[in-house]
Amino acid sequence: MVREAGFVDVELGEFIDVFSGSPHESDAREFETRGVTFRARKPG
Amino acid sequence: MVVPALDTEALACAVQAKYTEVATAPERGFHFHTGRPLAQMLAYPEAWIAAVPRAAVERFAGVGNPFALGPLPAGAVVLDVGSGAGFDAQHAARQVGLRGRVIGVDMTPAMLAVARAAAADAGLTWLEFREGRAEQLPLTDASTDVVISNGVINLCPDKAAVYRELLRVLKPGGRLQIADVMVQLPVPDEARAEIDLWTG
Repeated sequence: MVREAGFVDVELGEFIDVFSGSPHESDAREFETRGVTFRARKPG
Repeated sequence: MVVPALDTEALACAVQAKYTEVATAPERGFHFHTGRPLAQMLAYPEAWIAAVPRAAVERFAGVGNPFALGPLPAGAVVLDVGSGAGFDAQHAARQVGLRGRVIGVDMTPAMLAVARAAAADAGLTWLEFREGRAEQLPLTDASTDVVISNGVINLCPDKAAVYRELLRVLKPGGRLQIADVMVQLPVPDEARAEIDLWTG
């Protein structure tokens, strides 16, 4: 989706189990939901 | 079986209501982590946390650390999409310095009020906050060097529109540094239409 919008050099950073220990944990685990960082660049 | 479509305006209202709660009663406890424990879990340096007024720290509700992707250049113009109480925007302001500029955009008036007060408290005169939505940002074309965001785009039903908008406001060569939620398994249509699952 990021590339489709026109961004380039998309790079994923770290994945984080950010809902671990929260009341939302079971929903998050059901769909393997993680926090993630990424960067990308606008061409030019 | 007919699956009800997601009511996007109801979702926006629910998100705004949830983050109004975070802004007005951060001690209440939510379905997601918040505040100093969350910032520590995400490995924000203690010195950074200590530099931010408590009101902004307590209302922090990110899902990652966009600064782990690299420092922001001194003098840069930075946009924080969904800036909340301004925790990340304050870090950005300190990184770009007096010659830079940071604009936080958020759709929740209660968060904007906290963010503005905390920025004034910290003396960050080059940090400002504007009301707006990620799909229709109150910025001109090609006006921004870096866009940061933390745990916000996942709450927007039309993510493609958000990324098109981020592309519009970035200067050529400008970059995104984003922390967000990624769902790695398919979500059934019935679950997608459940607003409670979006807002946590």
